[in-house]
Amino acid sequence: MTLTSRDLRTFLSSYKIVALLIVIAVIWAFFGFMTYDADLGGSQFLTARNFSNLLRQMAITGMLASAMVFVIVAGEIDLSVGSLLGLLGGIAAVLDVLYHWPLAGTIAVVILLGIAFGLAVGWLTAYQGIPSFIVTLGGMLVFRGAVLGLTGGITVAPASEGLKYIGQGYLPGVMGNALAAALFVLLVVLAFKTRAGRQKHALPVSSMTVEVARLVAVGAVILGFVLTLNSYQGVPVPVLILLVILGVFTVIADKTVFGRRIYAVGSNLEATRLSGVNVNLVKMMVFGLMGLMCALAGLTTTARLAAGTPSAGTGAELDAIASCFIGGTSMRGGIGTVIGALVGALIMASLDNGMSMLGVETFWQQIVKGVILVLAVWMDIVSSGNTR
Amino acid sequence: MAEALLEMHGITKEFNGVKAIDGIDLIVHPGECVGLCGENGAGKSTLMKVLSAVYPPGTWSGTILWDGEELRARNIRETEEAGIVIIHQELMMVPHLSVAENIFLGSEPTTRAGFVDYDTMNARAAELMKQLKMPDINVALPVMAYSGGKQQLIEIAKALNKNARLLILDEPTSALTASETRTLLDLVKEFKARGMACVYISHKLDEVAEIADTVTVIRDGTHVATRPMAELDTNEIITMMVGREMKNLFPREDHEIGEVVFAAKNVTVWDTTNTERKLVDDVSFELRRGEILGVAGLVGAGRTELASHLFGCWKGDSRGAVVLDGREIRVKSPADAVAQGISMVPEDRKRHGIVPLMGVGHNITLSVLKRFTRRGLIDAEDEMAAIQGEIRRMRIKTAQPLLPIASLSGGNQQKAVVAKMLMPNPRVLILDEPTRGVDVGAKYEIYKLIFELAKQGVAVLMISSELPEVLGISDRVLVMGEGRLRGDFPNTGLTQEKILAAALGKQEQVAA
Repeated sequence: MTLTSRDLRTFLSSYKIVALLIVIAVIWAFFGFMTYDADLGGSQFLTARNFSNLLRQMAITGMLASAMVFVIVAGEIDLSVGSLLGLLGGIAAVLDVLYHWPLAGTIAVVILLGIAFGLAVGWLTAYQGIPSFIVTLGGMLVFRGAVLGLTGGITVAPASEGLKYIGQGYLPGVMGNALAAALFVLLVVLAFKTRAGRQKHALPVSSMTVEVARLVAVGAVILGFVLTLNSYQGVPVPVLILLVILGVFTVIADKTVFGRRIYAVGSNLEATRLSGVNVNLVKMMVFGLMGLMCALAGLTTTARLAAGTPSAGTGAELDAIASCFIGGTSMRGGIGTVIGALVGALIMASLDNGMSMLGVETFWQQIVKGVILVLAVWMDIVSSGNTR
Repeated sequence: MAEALLEMHGITKEFNGVKAIDGIDLIVHPGECVGLCGENGAGKSTLMKVLSAVYPPGTWSGTILWDGEELRARNIRETEEAGIVIIHQELMMVPHLSVAENIFLGSEPTTRAGFVDYDTMNARAAELMKQLKMPDINVALPVMAYSGGKQQLIEIAKALNKNARLLILDEPTSALTASETRTLLDLVKEFKARGMACVYISHKLDEVAEIADTVTVIRDGTHVATRPMAELDTNEIITMMVGREMKNLFPREDHEIGEVVFAAKNVTVWDTTNTERKLVDDVSFELRRGEILGVAGLVGAGRTELASHLFGCWKGDSRGAVVLDGREIRVKSPADAVAQGISMVPEDRKRHGIVPLMGVGHNITLSVLKRFTRRGLIDAEDEMAAIQGEIRRMRIKTAQPLLPIASLSGGNQQKAVVAKMLMPNPRVLILDEPTRGVDVGAKYEIYKLIFELAKQGVAVLMISSELPEVLGISDRVLVMGEGRLRGDFPNTGLTQEKILAAALGKQEQVAA
């Protein structure tokens, strides 16, 4: 039996995530090999410390990408998230540094403002019919202008210890282990519950061997993940936040009415409207969720830098959008997963990190990232047989 | 008579093994106007697409002689170069370009430097406008400054500019007012006098009777007759258009008809682009519990627009009360309608019915998802049980409940869309062309379902362009024409001829 390109295509389009993981493995192997240095005792890329840094670097893009997936799946786009991140981070810095607000107050206000700004953008798009490209292009300028006005164009520092923990802290090793164990048990229980449910309705299920193999693989990934991070300083707080977001958003996508409607709206807006769904509300809520993620990303950015800077988040919208597309989100809406977008963000972060380590000049880094984006989408189109 | 300008012989065109037209002949002489008549879907448009090479030679069989020689055009551009110009039902204008720019689109006169020669272009366009007796049109203004009717005449100017020898008009007056129609008919007569040939496709038989010299009738893709108009009257044309036997395709079942549950009062709907034009003009009707009310009429009669208003999904201006149980209700969106017990199965399944990337099951539950949630999360088991129940009840043939709906056949897709709109347990169900593009077997099942629903007391409003279907299913039939209610008949002793006559506005035949 020969493996035809068609077989390969079918495999890759049904297991998109596997294809993405292979890409990551290739990138890591490449950088691991290139940064190998016998004097320093091995590869500099493949160390626990670098792995921890890499994840922290991707956390902020990942937060934005998690909600951007929903925006793109719903058939819209949001170009304002980088600026909104900057504005909300700036507000957090001002409240924390200049007014010495308690941490909880700062977080609450920033989150509420984020949701409010997001809903405003959503309202203009969904109810007033202004294309989201225009609304958010305007928002990009407005929010960036606002942060410049707010900070007077200077860095607001230093942030309080509490705020810094959000961006720079690590979870103690014991807690990391406990969470990993709890997560694994949860996944096992869910897997068997789903399996039982599908069997009850005579739906096809994979064989028990495959199921167990899958769970063992997942368990190994979780174990390796936590052990590696613990061997450095523990799970970074922003990474933990990102993982929680991944879990919650995946549940939203698969298990809630709201999530189902996002995909329906993106796949056929008119049919969904004619089914009696309030499609405008769905779209507005998606932008509200995007605003919430801008708030979390803004807080994390300020915490990580221990300061509010007027240029924070510049260009972050493009990284987030690129992550979604690399992660298999369809430009035409209706298709996309949160995990895919996060893997997309990880690919982008790996490229950044690896090339910086190799001392590749910045201009080359940009060129490479641009090429990878186009290449990823091209591969997606070829693998789904959608070429014109 | 002189040599024929166009001779089409034995034209046959198949789609996936189904003959859309089968052995049709059409002959046109210079200076002659041929009226081409047939019901919706009889094959008129297919025939014209063959002629204009939208379907290029090789995708159909038969011969086309143009000026006595075989026509070898491979695309629309080449047919236009030969002198055959089609004016479509929908306007093909670029609204923001000027009248002159539209007329010369694709053949712009240029200066020696290669720039568009606006002086020549505007002068020639103004000359054409004079020929069309519309000297007051400013050819430098954007086309959208003029009404739909004027635009139709500008289309004709475009055809004249291409030196057309055969003008094909496909339902040219469906978007025109009475006076605009008059101008157009007079123009066609003048063209005839100058020796231009013309094929006139219209449901408005009075117009055909006025300007056609010969009438060709086709039905179900076959040629019925070609006769001089002088020997015919419009009733004979109707009989030839319909003239097919009714087979017992309809599983009629007795059902009880109760009190009035639903009413539409003085519904008027305006066009979205030509906002002066009324697509539905002051239509009122009542619908009873357990009643199946058919709505017949030709394409463009305003039936879908009426339904859109009732379901709250018309995009333009519309007015008219919607009454449920004697109480006027607010229907501003489909969500309002569904919440109050009105469901609609839309006409265009692909665009408005299915959510293609989602599974059949998830399409079916789309409108009632909240029903399956426990503490904010969808209970997949509950949902799946409901989905499988519907798949069994509607006999939807799918390998798996969550297979993408786009991979199913048209009939099964339609059954899923109907299932979706029945999930909210509507009291009033609007079906817009429920069996379009559906195979015979699925049709039969949809009919059975309609009767079953009527038995359960659902009030059904069924829009259909298939007259046998309207007669086979309905308890009562509304006939619409040009936006107005042209008839309201109990379905006893009703015939296709009567409906068609009413739809065409032959008032003397409408029952009191």
